[in-house]
Amino acid sequence: MAPRLLQNFNGGRAHIVTANRCAVEALENTLGKLGVSAVYPELRDGRADIDLGALQAERDMLFVDGDLDNPVALDTDAISRHPPVPVIGLVGVEAPSRLKHLINLGASAFLRKPVQGGAVYTALFLGINQFLLRGDLRARLDDMDRRRRGRRAVVKAIIARMSEAGSDDDEAYDWLRRESMRSRQTLEDYCEMFLKIRAAPLDKPTHLPLREIGAGRR
Amino acid sequence: MSQHYRIGVMFSTTGPYSVVARSMLNGALLAVAEDAVPDVSVEPVIVDPAGDLGAYAGLARDLLQSGVRHVVGCYTSSSRKEVIPFFEKHDALLWYPSHYEGFESSNNVIYTGASPNQHVLPLVGHMLGRVGASAFCVGSNYIWAWENARIFREAMMAQGGRVLAERYVPVGDVEIDQVVEAILEARPDFVFNTLIGTSAYAFFRAFRAACLARGIDQPRAIPVVSCSLSEPELEEIGEGAVDGHLSSSVYFSSLDTPANRTFTELYRSTFPQGPSTSADAEASYVAMKLLILSLAEAGTDDVEAVKQAVTRQYLLAPQGEVRIDPQTLHAYLTPRIGLSNKQSRFDLLFEASGPVRPDPYLVQSAPRYAVASCNPALRVVK
Repeated sequence: MAPRLLQNFNGGRAHIVTANRCAVEALENTLGKLGVSAVYPELRDGRADIDLGALQAERDMLFVDGDLDNPVALDTDAISRHPPVPVIGLVGVEAPSRLKHLINLGASAFLRKPVQGGAVYTALFLGINQFLLRGDLRARLDDMDRRRRGRRAVVKAIIARMSEAGSDDDEAYDWLRRESMRSRQTLEDYCEMFLKIRAAPLDKPTHLPLREIGAGRR
Repeated sequence: MSQHYRIGVMFSTTGPYSVVARSMLNGALLAVAEDAVPDVSVEPVIVDPAGDLGAYAGLARDLLQSGVRHVVGCYTSSSRKEVIPFFEKHDALLWYPSHYEGFESSNNVIYTGASPNQHVLPLVGHMLGRVGASAFCVGSNYIWAWENARIFREAMMAQGGRVLAERYVPVGDVEIDQVVEAILEARPDFVFNTLIGTSAYAFFRAFRAACLARGIDQPRAIPVVSCSLSEPELEEIGEGAVDGHLSSSVYFSSLDTPANRTFTELYRSTFPQGPSTSADAEASYVAMKLLILSLAEAGTDDVEAVKQAVTRQYLLAPQGEVRIDPQTLHAYLTPRIGLSNKQSRFDLLFEASGPVRPDPYLVQSAPRYAVASCNPALRVVK
């Protein structure tokens, strides 16, 4: 099921990364109407002074001016382009290099500069809900990957159960699924554990008699 | 020396919702006629888009290009949204005097009608506590009804109520029998009506008649509640179907206050041919009053100066204290709920203790997440 749509942004905090405050005047005014406070991180040597580790996805959002040269070193997942907090791009120069930079940061909505008040709610609605959707899709992909990796263990466990209980593959699968739910594990994790328990115990370590050093020497 | 200003007045005084629009025109003209501010003389420039959405943009552009910087006008949200780009382009100010569905806050509009936290939300609380938990929504097929129904549905569901169905008909459509049948089949505790104009009048008549034919006491068994129903519209519905309807509004002509008595008497004597006063007529009166006061204080019709001035005004309006919130440019208004009677007036059932701050985006009162419209798809797993 797709994540629920966020529609009320009250209590949010916007970090507006720009060197052009005049162009975002309407943005700050409209955010205030929506119950979102605005802060302007200082730019030091071209980098925005933001404690990225302290950002919270439920509260914080970033507005990043695409005309600045890489002002935020955000830990954005390279494959899904899913940033740690919602990012909304502020577009001045409409050049591919500038837009690409915002996309790579994980921007999920855009506002043209100078910002018009009437566009802000839509950008927030789109940006934050796309962020939630991407996060949900990434979690699903991770889950699918995990299941794919556990596929071999599931097949082996079905075969083991079939020979152990004399059942067919459907019955063996149902039994494993039921037991995994009972033990509150995913099917894949349960199958791995099931196989580990049944794996033949390792041979007892044997200690070869060490030759005495210098033995035979005279 | 008195300053003279040409002020646009744009209402569809002909067309499907002309009855309310004529009362709005009257309200605005009454404020001009009062002539209460000696330093300002106002010349209304009246235009009539006749309910044709396509006509609004052209008329607004013509007004603004002729040098008009302030226009009191629009009833429907679709018409307001149609003209706002022109006001933003010309940096002019629209004084919008009608209740609406919120989720807008243009810097070129002063909103003197009620926001959703001042009409639909008080209504939900009232109905859930006193009438029942299931509702059927019927509305005109445009943004006012769609968005109001969404707000209504989410507020209902958040408080344990439910919406059985929603039906929409085109603006001006009076073929309403299918909707009536659907309601009678669903048998809700009440109907939430967002129909406007002639569609609404046809619905009230047809629904009452269908209930009568089935031996149902409609006002008691399936009351109809609205956020837009006003006195001139009750008169249009006509005898036999006019009583027993609830309306959530910030103004009723029956309010027993000195300011309202003065207003209604002046209105009646100035416009004896009608239509009666309405919440939208009062909002238009308030809009024009605030505009004239702000022009006087600013000493100019410069939009920024007038916007600054309007946030400093305090008006003892017919409904009570009214002022404009500087952050949203919407009005502080007093929510009320009335029950229509056979004299086409409303008896007051509920009244807030004072003016309520406008919350056009419902940031203080709406759930953080959109409410799912159906139950989660749960399934049994082995």
